[in-house]
Amino acid sequence: MMKPFAYLKAKTPAEALAALNSKGARIHAGGTDLLGCLHDHLFTVDKVVSISGIKEWSGMTGRPDGGLKIGCLTTIASIAASAVLKEKYAVLAQAASEVASPQLREQGTIGGNLCQRPRCWYYRGDFPCARKGGETCFAVEGENQNHAIFSNGPCFFVHPSDTAVALSALQARLTVAGPAGTRTVPIESFFLAPEKAIDRENVLEPAEILTEIHLPAPAAGARSSYRKIRSRQSWDFALTSVALWLQVDKGMVSQARCWLGGVAPAPWRAAAAEKLLAGKKLNAALAASAGQAAAEGAVPMRDNAYKVEMVKGAVEESLLRLLA
Amino acid sequence: MSHYYEEMEESFRNSFEPAPGPVAEAKIRPWEKTQLVGKGVPRVDGYERVSGAAQYTADIVLPDMLYAAILRCPHAHAMVKSIDTSAAEKMPGVLAVLSGKSPGADLPWYGGKAAQSKLFDTHCRHEGEEVAAVAALTPYQAADALRAIRVEYETLPFVLDPAAMQPSAPKLYEGGNAVGEPRIVKRGDVAQGFAEADVVLEETFYTSVQMHATMEAHGSVAKWDGDKLTLWDSTQGVYDGVLFGAARALNMPFNKIRVICKYMGGGFGAKLEVGKYSIIAALLARKTGRPVKAMLPREDTFLCTGNRPEARMTLKAGVKKDGTLTALQLTNLSTPGAYASGTSVGYQVAELYKCPNVLVSESGYYSNAGRARPFRAPGFPSGNWCLEQMMDMLAVKLGMDPVELRLKNFTEVSQTRQVPYTSTGLKECLLQGAKAFGWQEARAAKKSDGPVRRGFGMAAGMWSGGNGSPPYTAEVRLFVDGGITIKTGAMDIGTGTKTVACMVAAEELGVPLESVRIENADTAVTPYGQSSGGSMTLPGLIPAVRKGAWLVKQQLLAWGAEALGVPAEDVELKGNAIGSRSAPDKKKPLEELLRANGVMDVIGIGNRDPNPPKKAINPFGAHFAEVEVNTRTGEVRVVRLLGANESGRVINQKTFHNQVFGGMTQCLGFALTEKRVLDRQTGKMVNANLHDYKVPTALDVPVQHQVVAVDPQDTECNLVGCKGLGEPAHIPTASAIANAIYDAVGVRPTHGPMEPKTILELLAKKKRG
Ligand SMILES: Cc1cc2nc3c(=O)[nH]c(=O)nc-3n(C[C@H](O)[C@H](O)[C@H](O)COP(=O)(O)OP(=O)(O)OC[C@H]3O[C@@H](n4cnc5c(N)ncnc54)[C@H](O)[C@@H]3O)c2cc1C
Repeated sequence: MMKPFAYLKAKTPAEALAALNSKGARIHAGGTDLLGCLHDHLFTVDKVVSISGIKEWSGMTGRPDGGLKIGCLTTIASIAASAVLKEKYAVLAQAASEVASPQLREQGTIGGNLCQRPRCWYYRGDFPCARKGGETCFAVEGENQNHAIFSNGPCFFVHPSDTAVALSALQARLTVAGPAGTRTVPIESFFLAPEKAIDRENVLEPAEILTEIHLPAPAAGARSSYRKIRSRQSWDFALTSVALWLQVDKGMVSQARCWLGGVAPAPWRAAAAEKLLAGKKLNAALAASAGQAAAEGAVPMRDNAYKVEMVKGAVEESLLRLLA
Repeated sequence: MSHYYEEMEESFRNSFEPAPGPVAEAKIRPWEKTQLVGKGVPRVDGYERVSGAAQYTADIVLPDMLYAAILRCPHAHAMVKSIDTSAAEKMPGVLAVLSGKSPGADLPWYGGKAAQSKLFDTHCRHEGEEVAAVAALTPYQAADALRAIRVEYETLPFVLDPAAMQPSAPKLYEGGNAVGEPRIVKRGDVAQGFAEADVVLEETFYTSVQMHATMEAHGSVAKWDGDKLTLWDSTQGVYDGVLFGAARALNMPFNKIRVICKYMGGGFGAKLEVGKYSIIAALLARKTGRPVKAMLPREDTFLCTGNRPEARMTLKAGVKKDGTLTALQLTNLSTPGAYASGTSVGYQVAELYKCPNVLVSESGYYSNAGRARPFRAPGFPSGNWCLEQMMDMLAVKLGMDPVELRLKNFTEVSQTRQVPYTSTGLKECLLQGAKAFGWQEARAAKKSDGPVRRGFGMAAGMWSGGNGSPPYTAEVRLFVDGGITIKTGAMDIGTGTKTVACMVAAEELGVPLESVRIENADTAVTPYGQSSGGSMTLPGLIPAVRKGAWLVKQQLLAWGAEALGVPAEDVELKGNAIGSRSAPDKKKPLEELLRANGVMDVIGIGNRDPNPPKKAINPFGAHFAEVEVNTRTGEVRVVRLLGANESGRVINQKTFHNQVFGGMTQCLGFALTEKRVLDRQTGKMVNANLHDYKVPTALDVPVQHQVVAVDPQDTECNLVGCKGLGEPAHIPTASAIANAIYDAVGVRPTHGPMEPKTILELLAKKKRG
């Protein structure tokens, strides 16, 4: 039976924070993920706190340092359509445009996208898996073609968010508000590996809200791209994705950031590829080696070894396209 | 032919004698010239469908109506030990709880040749089997009540794969898991055929379980008036499916049950039989004295309303240097799931090409998974997958053009029946399709050796049904103002049957399309029509419609000739009057003419005539595909598709094109993304939702999608010259895409679907050598 719950529509940040500071309270932003979770009985709630009416948390504004602030309620659709993002932070606009389907992009928010729950079919399905308090990760011996090739366990889901991978490549900083005030979390330390916590995917405490996303000022000579591979052209999560950010100076890659999606329980940093690229002039051979390097350390399961090939190919292709 | 259709045809073909028409029969001749038939006409119910005025079963809301929900077994194999419904019964809004122990609910199910089971069987042989049901004031209360029912299960070991054939395997039935004897089709001597061949190839193929994934879920609304029951049902057959099935289950006379389905949101074979939900709705409605609606949640439709079974096929083919086939040998092992259903795939191997030596051997085993049901051309896309990839492999080996190889083995005589086809458009589909596609130029063009490769492929196909047969009745009624109403129990499951029926009546009577109305699929008021299956609705019904209209015309002409004093050939219907063609001043209002003969309407009862003896009636097609394969990522993009289909007379260009687009799109899903995934640890389906089970989206369908409608001018097959199209349009697309992938990257995707994973694994294997 679905447990009855209270519903509150907060009008101000303070009201939202206060309402959230009680047991079993959950944020409702666009609701596209939350309602599915409740429908599938993944968890129960006592109070649903809608934040969709809070104007302060919606939209994008420039920062004094030349960077950009994105409110957590900014829709995925408006991020995908933003001219500023397309020009200065292409990787994010591209990632947003590949999220879900047009309806979901209109309704879903960037905050909700980062905080959405895993899409593993065992977690979402009628299986008592470890993440739901059960004893095992069914993917280990089961149907693991979509699962992680980089994970120390005990859970092998892949983080579903496209924008998380892009924001990682942009080194975004997240503002988190809670009962004890606000704190800033670099996106790199926002997501939690399953070995650290099996019942949640990020560092947010129950009463905390991710309110803002801050992007650093665009660096000179920087360019970026997002490439998503999936089984069908829309309404599908990444089998593998690559967020690339390169700073190029006179044909040389001075700095490289390469993050992967669809392969690990959090955006995965392909550090070996980044190291290989830094300080070199990009050509076909280097792109291929960077692809190889990106797949280093992968431990595929029975049915997902193809992802290792996919990572290599996608990184190589992305590099060549970005510098074409 | 798949067993299902064989049985369906057998049982209904001979059980109804066609009633004699009202007028002594003259001969109906093929139309020489047509005014309307052959044009592209929008659907007569297009407005209702797009405006939302059309009432689907899911839309039905009745005063006092309750909502049913069905509790399903969460295990792949289990015995129900006990059910405690006491808590559920006490919940707010709950008016009735039903289980196998409830009075009147202990009903047999899956009767006949199929394995015996019950409406609520304590032996649950797959995940999703019905265990209990509730009726409540709201759907939410009903869903909540389900979760309050306590069921004690004893879980049993389960089996999903061919290990079911081992003696040690968990048994679904006392007698073991084999589904009957192997089914053998034999012609000539394959050993000799292979000995005569210059090239012999053998390959193993596999196609995954495909789900129907209909847009409208399965469901029924039941309402009792005294001892009379009305069912609004999302079905492909108000008669054969729901009426006869419900009457059998509830032990009621046919005329006490009224089944209605005016609009249907997709069936593809999954809605040919009465559903457990229909009977459950009827029982709950009887128990509560209120109407009950039982629409299945999406997840349930994936578990227990059917699927296209998997096929494990090995095909061996022998061919001479000049391309002449000498032998074909196929084995297929498949499972219908936990209950009997057809799994044969071999028909085209034995029929499509001229080949003197054929051996097909197919067998099946029961497994703890949802039961298969007919799915758009049952067995044919799978059989085509192996046959048409094999033809492609032979063409490569012989250095012959694939179209050429197929033309070389073209036949006008049915190979399995040894009688000529009334028409076969296969040759024209191949030739016209290749021309429109630019096949030769495309194949001759130089290939890029970059990471993204382009390829072109094609495949031919045919369908065992599409002939249509008696019985079918269409009542055509002329009002005195010249308006026409057709009544038939035939279905329009989205295919456009109603539009085509109106066109044909209008054509025959020489009236505008706007003057014709059709009422269908209501067993209390419309005469018998078969279920929509086998692509037999159009060729079954439409000749009966023409005949009904023709009978009306004959009557009018006879009375008109008498009244006007002119020969019958000179009489014509003009609006609300009849007149003489040669002497335009001679005319008479219809009302006067009819009243003078003691009636206010003329009714023609058109029955479907038998098909011509010693002839085969089959539709054919050839599909062409252009793909891009990204060798780095395994992505396949279908950039162009062309379907050349021959299904007899093209009555409505628009609905013809629609069927080909739709059929090919559904097969594109079969080719690239669709597969049921069962968890090997629990036997439970992991992708029982529309997100993880991937039907193609609008973006997956190529923008360049072309139809070539081949019309063979068949004057023999029936009064209208039409054959069925829905299924043949769905058959060779996946094979054409597979062949295009081979052309692009030189690896053969023998195992479907061709996901990026499949392609990358094949490419990696090739690289390893
Ligand atoms: C069918 C489907 C397909 C999808 N495909 C993709 C895809 O391809 N790629 C992709 O990236 N995503 C995909 N998504 C996810 C989709 O983008 C998210 O559902 C959406 O972005 C979430 O936004 P929302 O505002 O609706 O979140 P909600 O549903 O309102 O919230 C999601 C979760 O985050 C919490 N939450 C929301 N906002 C905050 C906040 N500011 N601070 C803290 N916690 C918060 C909620 O409590 C809840 O648990 C898909 C979703 C669906 C349903």
